[in-house]
Amino acid sequence: MALAPLDGAITLDQLSSDPYPIYRRLRAESPVLRVASTGRTLLTKAALTKAVKDNPELFSSDDPQTPMKPAFRAHTLMRKDGKAHFVERKAISKALTPKRIKADWGPLYEQLAEDYIARLPRGETVDLFTDLCGPLAARILAHILGIPEASDEQMMRWSQLLIDGAGNFGWKPEPFAASDAANDEMDALFAELEPIRRVEPDGSAYSLMLTADDPIPMSQIHANIKIAIGGGINEPRDALATILYGLLTNPDQLAEVRAQEAWDKAFEEGIRWVAPIQASSRLVTEDTELGGFDIPKGDTVMTIQASANRDEELFEDGESFFVFRDKNPHQAFGNGPHHCAGAHVARRTVGKIILPMLFDRFPNMSLPNPEDVVWKGFGFRGPINLPVVLN
Amino acid sequence: MIKVTYVAHDGTETVIEAEEGTSVMQAAVSNDVDGIVGECGGSMMCATCHCYVDEAWEARTGQRSDDEDEMLEGAASEVTERSRLSCQIKLDPSLDGLVVHLPEEQL
Repeated sequence: MALAPLDGAITLDQLSSDPYPIYRRLRAESPVLRVASTGRTLLTKAALTKAVKDNPELFSSDDPQTPMKPAFRAHTLMRKDGKAHFVERKAISKALTPKRIKADWGPLYEQLAEDYIARLPRGETVDLFTDLCGPLAARILAHILGIPEASDEQMMRWSQLLIDGAGNFGWKPEPFAASDAANDEMDALFAELEPIRRVEPDGSAYSLMLTADDPIPMSQIHANIKIAIGGGINEPRDALATILYGLLTNPDQLAEVRAQEAWDKAFEEGIRWVAPIQASSRLVTEDTELGGFDIPKGDTVMTIQASANRDEELFEDGESFFVFRDKNPHQAFGNGPHHCAGAHVARRTVGKIILPMLFDRFPNMSLPNPEDVVWKGFGFRGPINLPVVLN
Repeated sequence: MIKVTYVAHDGTETVIEAEEGTSVMQAAVSNDVDGIVGECGGSMMCATCHCYVDEAWEARTGQRSDDEDEMLEGAASEVTERSRLSCQIKLDPSLDGLVVHLPEEQL
């Protein structure tokens, strides 16, 4: 067999500004393609992305040589496999189970959503991306994690600096200096709160990890909270903005969603249509093959969930936002051992609480100029503004 | 092939045939059985393949592991002594005819 073809034409700018026409072409012509600008082998068909994620022995997350380690000042569970990953994951996932989120946290989420939505001015144009999606996601996460003392501004800034550092594949010093400063702030806050969360267990992630019978090391408790900060704000923020865009630009569907109270379906369709996390990397541990091509040990493959979610083999007219699909087997939360730990939180907060509440309060909300909305991102993607009129 | 019957919360029965070695979750997902999500693909990370093993089959499906027990604690629907994560039940000939009941919700 031969190596996958090598592409030298696709640029990172193209992938960031409008990747979907490229993915559509790749699914048809080159579903396994080495893309020089990314330094990765891109996989764009759903069967391939799923097969890779479901086989962690062959396609490992364990790659200590990524900028994630200096950015988080830790080797985190995102970049571990097997037992090492499982132990750290289990420590935090107890705070994120469906039962816990529904029974214990539901009323608090509702209150937070009510507070943030109540602040929005009626009859004016508001950028919901900056004025609601980001801050509310930050506030909810701060409570889940057990660090509500952190401000929205801190949570969002830390999150972005961790992400910038983790994506610093050029290994420039500035992003690491910025993530270091954020790490210092976070470590100081965690240290300050530790005695309180120990003595007064509150069911938060921090508290549960500190008071576990057989706790993971403190360094990994900190790392887990940082991973959740880095991975738990932009995604619900972008999901919410994407779903709102989809509904506001498809008024017929919005009317039907309201009539059927199909907010959960709208949620699933939004994250299928434009997955907040578009791509993930895996290190190949043994020579293997994918889609008829040799994939050598040491290669890094990139699963493009964004493309899998529009794969013609699974979705009819996957390019369109259509809430009422018969089946929606999207991979927006990934699959395999690293399946998104925040999936249940996102479904409940965005899908069951925030969306219905927002349309209940502003039943005539509109997006007068959808063409003004700017979409951006290759690894993470969503609108970066959402100027709506609230009525 | 091994026969498995899934009884939905509303009583609807779906009967499928699956190969030996696949899990009760995989068999459901690949046959589009509603009521089993199995989002993490069988890694015991999501608790969305919760099922109740029929009383008659309880002895043959075995005990749940400690890790499975912990993950089940977070399941969306009520957990009983017959609750299992269906990704952890591997089909073998002794389970031919297995009946599992599905919970009201997985998410």
